Amino acid sequence: MGVMRIGHASLKVMDMAEAVRHYEKVIGMKTTMQDKQGNVYLKCWDEWDKYSLVLTPSDQAGLNHVAYKVQHDADLDALRQRIEAYGISTTMLPEGTMPATGRMLQFDLPSGHEMRLYATKEFVGTDVGSVNPDPWPDDIKGAGAHWLDHCLLMCELDPETGVNKVAENTRFVMECLDFGLAEQVMVGPDSRIQAATWLYRTTTPHDIAFVGGPRRGLHHISFFLDSWHDVLKSADIMAKNKVRIDVAPTRHGITRGETIYFFDPSGNRNETFAGLGYLTQPDRPVTTWTEDHMGSGIFYHTGELVPSFTEVYT
Amino acid sequence: MLHRVIIRQTGECCACSSDESLLAGLVRLGRRGIPAGCLGGGCGVCKVRVLRGRVRRLGPVSRARVTLDEEARGYTLACRVAPCSELELEVAGRLEKPFFKGFAASAGRVVGK
Repeated sequence: MGVMRIGHASLKVMDMAEAVRHYEKVIGMKTTMQDKQGNVYLKCWDEWDKYSLVLTPSDQAGLNHVAYKVQHDADLDALRQRIEAYGISTTMLPEGTMPATGRMLQFDLPSGHEMRLYATKEFVGTDVGSVNPDPWPDDIKGAGAHWLDHCLLMCELDPETGVNKVAENTRFVMECLDFGLAEQVMVGPDSRIQAATWLYRTTTPHDIAFVGGPRRGLHHISFFLDSWHDVLKSADIMAKNKVRIDVAPTRHGITRGETIYFFDPSGNRNETFAGLGYLTQPDRPVTTWTEDHMGSGIFYHTGELVPSFTEVYT
Repeated sequence: MLHRVIIRQTGECCACSSDESLLAGLVRLGRRGIPAGCLGGGCGVCKVRVLRGRVRRLGPVSRARVTLDEEARGYTLACRVAPCSELELEVAGRLEKPFFKGFAASAGRVVGK
């Protein structure tokens, strides 16, 4: 079936001890592994593979790569052919390039972000197990995020020069990786410029999102919570830990997510959100937001765009 | 201890404690449009150039936002330094545009957007 879901994000952090403290104590992940290069691997309690986040020591913030898991090892060969035929070069990284992880198909999206696909990662099980499980484990810390859910990548968009990496990425992931388009923001004369897109492989509104901006970057990685109350509680945890909150709890019109945005200690934006939105299906009509309603699409209650939300990213 | 911070481009002053970030002092100018971004040295929106005076580093500054060459010329991020003396600085980078927009607005007693 090809791509199943987001598998992990690899983030650059400038202070490893602070970063680990944040992702353990605030997000509620657990460290599962460290390697000789000083990279730290973490997972959420409801995830069954060995890690979903890799922190790498760096002199800057931002995304190294984002990886998606495919169902079968043979999918990697089939997808490689399709991606190469599309005109994008790929590299097959051998098993063990990343610890506990099988071979990985590495390539750059049209926007320049590095993406990797893999089929196998060491199975460790969720914290409640798979036989007669409790609904949640007893040792949840912080927000107690269930899983890494999606990421939003900022892609170069300049209508004056005709550069639109949002549209290019969208076309690529739909044609080569079989993503479906759930929602889009259309701007400009006759609403012809695709300025932002939300795409899915699962049955939820987004597994990846692309938004236009002046330069390539990472807007956020997002973690799933059960309910609106959990979003509120995660805000309490951020206040307790003096975490820089970007957008206090609210709802998105786009995807209907209940959300809070904040920054990790290196300035990488995180989201914890609740609400699976709606059931995405290949025959579901694409939701379109027009430029005059973009504010409501992003923050449904106020309908107002927050400059830092679109201008600040790593 | 409070130190005077002078913004060369507008002549404005604010007081900033040696225990807090320069950005916290700038925010107290009360202007609209002073971009306080991630506060972690990663996003780079609060870039400034220190022209005179000494600052103390509060934490890492992204090399993607302040190059070694820029650092040698006094550039840094306001969220990641505290003043150790009276300072004179220029706002730079992405801070510059909203900063002057806000200045023009308050100078003309216009409610800026």
